[in-house]
Amino acid sequence: MQARTQSVWQRMLSIDRRWLYLILFVNIMTFLLAPIRMPASISPPVQKFYDEIEKLQPGDMVMISSNWSASTLAENQPQLEALITHLMRKQARFTIISIEAQSRDISYRLAERITKEKGYQYGEQWVHFGFVPNLVVAIKGMVNDLPNTIKQDVRGKEISKIPALQGVKSLSDYKIVIDVTPSGTVPAWISYSPKNLTILYCPTSVMAAEAYTYLDSGQIKGMITGAKGAQEYEQLLGIRGLGAPFANTISFSHLLIIFFILLGNFAMLMNRLQAR
Amino acid sequence: MHMLTNLMAQQTIWRLPEESRILFATLIVLGAFVLVLGLVPVLQTLPPRGRRAIIVTVTFLAGLFFAAEFFLPVDWTAVFPKDDPKRNFLTPAIQPAQNVLQIIGALALGLGTFGLVRLHLRNAVQRRPQWGYSIVLLVSFVVMAIFSVLNTLAEKGIVARDPLLQRGFSILFDYTLLQLDAAMFSLVAFYIFSAAYRAFRIRSVEASILMFTAMLVMIGVVPLGAYISPALPAIANWVLAYLNAPAQRAIEFGVGIGGLAMAIRLWLSLERGVT
Repeated sequence: MQARTQSVWQRMLSIDRRWLYLILFVNIMTFLLAPIRMPASISPPVQKFYDEIEKLQPGDMVMISSNWSASTLAENQPQLEALITHLMRKQARFTIISIEAQSRDISYRLAERITKEKGYQYGEQWVHFGFVPNLVVAIKGMVNDLPNTIKQDVRGKEISKIPALQGVKSLSDYKIVIDVTPSGTVPAWISYSPKNLTILYCPTSVMAAEAYTYLDSGQIKGMITGAKGAQEYEQLLGIRGLGAPFANTISFSHLLIIFFILLGNFAMLMNRLQAR
Repeated sequence: MHMLTNLMAQQTIWRLPEESRILFATLIVLGAFVLVLGLVPVLQTLPPRGRRAIIVTVTFLAGLFFAAEFFLPVDWTAVFPKDDPKRNFLTPAIQPAQNVLQIIGALALGLGTFGLVRLHLRNAVQRRPQWGYSIVLLVSFVVMAIFSVLNTLAEKGIVARDPLLQRGFSILFDYTLLQLDAAMFSLVAFYIFSAAYRAFRIRSVEASILMFTAMLVMIGVVPLGAYISPALPAIANWVLAYLNAPAQRAIEFGVGIGGLAMAIRLWLSLERGVT
């Protein structure tokens, strides 16, 4: 009985949340599947990230710290895929390390798939170090003695016998460290890495705001922010990856959220005016 | 003491010879095991004050080791002539200490697993409310553990990688665990949408500024923003670099000081709960 006496503004303010979920779901599915692709404006952190990778010479060592699980797959997978593609293009040698147990398998399988497609050889041009339970301890160990800290790769081969790692004694032999993560792990790399190492960062969108202090101070040289950063990076590389459709969906979801925030405020205002 | 410093100078105490490394390591592990087994009943008999004194001493010494290694100056060749002048005499002990930390981390993981299994096993055996979920957890845990261990062994070439193992691991990991994990996290988007609609209200000047800025950044950082106006991404980047960064720095500075104070309290066992 009371529901009938409610004004349209009151009903809007007390809308069942399941209707909101349905609207968002339809919006996501529509723009994920729709063939609309908007070009991205390249943000300065992504441009700097790209430029740092471009400086690499063939054979240079790069460390990828991959610490994400399936929960942030939509943001971290496009980043890692585009990054590995770029490293292979530059003929750099790269190693992957994970402090996230799930990421050990995800990053290994993802890298294996991409490298196989391009004929990049495991053990010769890239290696996966597997899972380490404590990143700070691992970094401090690798700074002093990398082969004795890691000991074996993901396939059980002794680090000192892997061709890709010949001559690599510590983290100082690397050029770049790239942290692909949804967690606050980058301060550990900044604090404990050798000073000659360039640090690049691939966070999820929600973690990016915190990293601007490190970008400003130059402790991080470049950053790819979530799926929309991955789209910008893909655009710079001239490839079609997962970043573009995901960023497209995020675009229209942001627009929808803004529209509903304004609508909610308008309904509140009208309701107050009516009450007077 | 002289022998110990001599061994430290030669670094043989930390770097065992290759041929006898396994024997030494086995002896050390067995010795540590026997020591721990012997220590547990001794510690149990101690009064709480005595136990606390041991914990406080061990915590302090462990913290002191890392602090001393970091703060002591390098080049101790005047005391240890054969030592590397680029490091102090404690540096060679850092790697073994870090290995110990890795082992403690792995033990903590094992302890957590043990606690989880014990709890749900008890739920299932005693038919407590919702014991069916405990059965699901235990079955999932055992099946996933078997396939994961076998898959890891297959990757290392210890067991054969047969199609059943490949298919089973793929179903469990790729098509179940990853999908469930991704689905759980994606629900956050729906909650954010609902919360933004209900809670983001202009009730003050501050709230208006916050909402206007948030909207600018939200639309400026996505491709749609650049499509609407080329100025929007520039404004969003300016907000992130020149308004967000100083605010974040202030917060992180405060968190850093708080962390330092907390570390000192932990090191000196001033935190409550040390018994």
